[in-house]
Amino acid sequence: MDAALRALNRFGLGARVGEARRLSDPRGWLRAQLRGDAPSVTPPAGADPETVGDAVRGLRQLGQGDEAERRQARRRLQEIAGAELRHAVTERVTSDRPFVERLVAFWSNHLCVSIGGKVLVAPLAGGYERDVIRPHVLGRFEDMVLASARHPAMLAYLDNFQSIGPASAAATLGQRAGRLRATPEQAAPRRGLNENYARELLELHTLGVDGGYTQQDVQELARMLTGWTIDGIPGPGARAAAGSRPRGRGGRQGGGPRAQAAAPDGPLRFVFREALHEPGAKTLLGTRYGEDGEDEAVRAIKTLCAHPSTARFVARKLVTHFVSDDPPQAAVDRVAQTFRTSGGNLKTVADVLIDLPEAWQDDRRKFRAPQDWLVAVLRALGTTDVRENVGPLLRQLRQPLWSPAAPKGYGDTLQEWADPDSLLNRGELARTIARIPGLRDLDPRSLLEVVDLPANAPLAAMLADSTIARDERLALALAGPAFQWR
Amino acid sequence: MHRREFLQSMCYGGLATFALPSVAFAQVSGPGRFVFVLLRGGFDGLAAVVPAGDPSYRSVRDGFAYDASALAMLDDTFGLAPGLAPLRAFWDQGQLALAHAMAIPHRTRSHFDGQAVLESGLDKPLGSSDGWLNRLLQVMSGTRAGIAIAAGMPLSLTGAYDVQSWSPTQLGVVDDAFRDRLAALYRADAVLHNRFEAAIAQQELVGEEPMARGRARRDGAVALMTAAARILKPEGGPNVAAMELSGWDTHANQGLAGGALDRLLGQLAEGLVAFRTEMGAAWDSTTLVVMTEFGRTARPNGTRGTDHGTAGAGFVLGPRLARSSIVADWPGLAANALYEGRDLKPTLDTRAVLKSAVAGAFDLTAAQLDRIFPNSATARVLPGLMA
Repeated sequence: MDAALRALNRFGLGARVGEARRLSDPRGWLRAQLRGDAPSVTPPAGADPETVGDAVRGLRQLGQGDEAERRQARRRLQEIAGAELRHAVTERVTSDRPFVERLVAFWSNHLCVSIGGKVLVAPLAGGYERDVIRPHVLGRFEDMVLASARHPAMLAYLDNFQSIGPASAAATLGQRAGRLRATPEQAAPRRGLNENYARELLELHTLGVDGGYTQQDVQELARMLTGWTIDGIPGPGARAAAGSRPRGRGGRQGGGPRAQAAAPDGPLRFVFREALHEPGAKTLLGTRYGEDGEDEAVRAIKTLCAHPSTARFVARKLVTHFVSDDPPQAAVDRVAQTFRTSGGNLKTVADVLIDLPEAWQDDRRKFRAPQDWLVAVLRALGTTDVRENVGPLLRQLRQPLWSPAAPKGYGDTLQEWADPDSLLNRGELARTIARIPGLRDLDPRSLLEVVDLPANAPLAAMLADSTIARDERLALALAGPAFQWR
Repeated sequence: MHRREFLQSMCYGGLATFALPSVAFAQVSGPGRFVFVLLRGGFDGLAAVVPAGDPSYRSVRDGFAYDASALAMLDDTFGLAPGLAPLRAFWDQGQLALAHAMAIPHRTRSHFDGQAVLESGLDKPLGSSDGWLNRLLQVMSGTRAGIAIAAGMPLSLTGAYDVQSWSPTQLGVVDDAFRDRLAALYRADAVLHNRFEAAIAQQELVGEEPMARGRARRDGAVALMTAAARILKPEGGPNVAAMELSGWDTHANQGLAGGALDRLLGQLAEGLVAFRTEMGAAWDSTTLVVMTEFGRTARPNGTRGTDHGTAGAGFVLGPRLARSSIVADWPGLAANALYEGRDLKPTLDTRAVLKSAVAGAFDLTAAQLDRIFPNSATARVLPGLMA
């Protein structure tokens, strides 16, 4: 095992030609990347928060109206998503702190939103990664989870924005209004508690499925989270809140409302609406929470993030990603311990990952998930120009950005990605990419520097064989087995 | 190191699942084959299995209704839309059951939630669930293998059981020389070489013609279903498959005979006929289910289409059916019979049909069915559907 390549490929996002030679201190190179804050990025052109807000309202205000207009409005949202996606992949391909970018991708997937299912999420996913994940990726876990809980993308994706406390002011008002209507058909559809986000917060973001919570806890947490909704779009929340006083203590990420929501405009923002909030005390994991509005869920989330089950769950996931599909228990325990004692300090946790001896062992290979593979291909080829087709290419590889089929996010094991068809898919794709005209000066043999090749592997001879077309040799290096591992 | 990786791959089930399909799965017990076709987008059951004999049909589907004479009528009430006419052959041979007024057990008009419920086999959308087809593979006994014939891994097949996949790609086909060199490289990798060999075997199974790979999308269901049959028919081939067809979200201009929806239905029906033809003798042990996440509104909308509704229709095809039948506790289309005043009312749980179909295909016990479909006690196996 070549330590420089392990650092570049396992912890980073793929070696560039020449990089491994220059890396005399692989662990030091990784540690240096953790100094300072994570690099911040600006939104791509046409995806500033105001424009995104307008685009989302543009679609929602059409209702069930004209289909052509709706299609156009949806296309606008997809265009924003496309620009964001290309922007984010470019960041990964060009970054000089690829370990930090890998951590961004990891946490973004851990607290994932998906643009696959809900059109409302599509234009928000890029901003979600930029504003929720990135600022906290070397900060505190609970800050990241709180920012996630308040971001419109997550509020929309897991439905919390339309969750209403059954005994809230809004619900009781709605029932009275409903009784006045002539027929049941005319009554507004009954809305109420939606426990989707509360469940995933427990199961996928913090404690883990075996973390020791019950269905009752899910419901109680959902009650605490009522009122956590989106400001800037018309919706049940906004209507119900008219006449009641929205109370925002959002803090930095929340950006509580500065004024009463009338006709919504501006960026989509988090707002806590008292009128939707379920009154009364709640009990979570045996602890009673007195009625305290928005702060109930803030306290609950902090408690969940500090729970030992969370440390174990997150540690196991990190070790699976950085060490092995079959994570060694000693490594999991060590990372969990660090997570706990550091109070969920993700920089400290990242540091301990570098120190895990298991991560550097010869026989613990990790199969590159499709996004990893494509980014590594582009880095190896020295490309900085990420084209519009990167979205479709990732789709072709079955791992489109920010589009997991379920809130669990994408897995990263051999079993999930190394199916026969995918290997052939990579072959086809490598063949196409290797024909990019800009690669004419690249010597195929130079790609031997980016893979950790076992002795006597036939690749070296093949890349030197001038009877094989040059672009085909490039493709063989990228599609061959050595390049599939990190 | 090589020995360790070899063992590791055994643990993953890699060798077992990814070896050459036609060699490794010599069947002992000869289980059936089961294919689940998901029509993504919510297809309009009322425009496919048309209740032309319902007294309220013409008024509900005002300006948008078929004359019974345009349909292949199956009884006094229901007829197949013109595009589905090729399915008449299945009906006449006792190989087609039409389920109607059927819906998933959770009320939603969201594609996202609807597909999540249908594909997870649960009674509400729980994002973190695995798929019911994967649980089927986990609990059934005997030799079995699952395959997704789709552009991505559908939720229905996601889970702990290792499954294969094949998709029509839009990329160019890899030429033989490149493929052979790549195969030579893979032979040196103890973990991956079986998988690569399996990929080549699969590609050869599908063949160059119709070579759905690269063309299936444009050619639609026929090429895709033909390719699927070629993968599924060899003895020992995969016996649980998930497929999907999209384009069913007909909010506008869905049309009548020859219209947009009817053309899609035509492709589906021709695809099913092509599938049966290509399966040859293997069709005798095959059961195929076609379902969607929800039906559409009973009334047309303002853009000559229909919006997201509740109950709809689905199909079960194959010789293991007891007989051809219409499986429906028909609620009618009268205004006061509609769900929330707008949708066909659900009177049949999709899981009852799915449970019946897989139980008929694989001889599953009640305990096994409960593990595949948790909390489905209310969705009972339908007596008399399967032989």
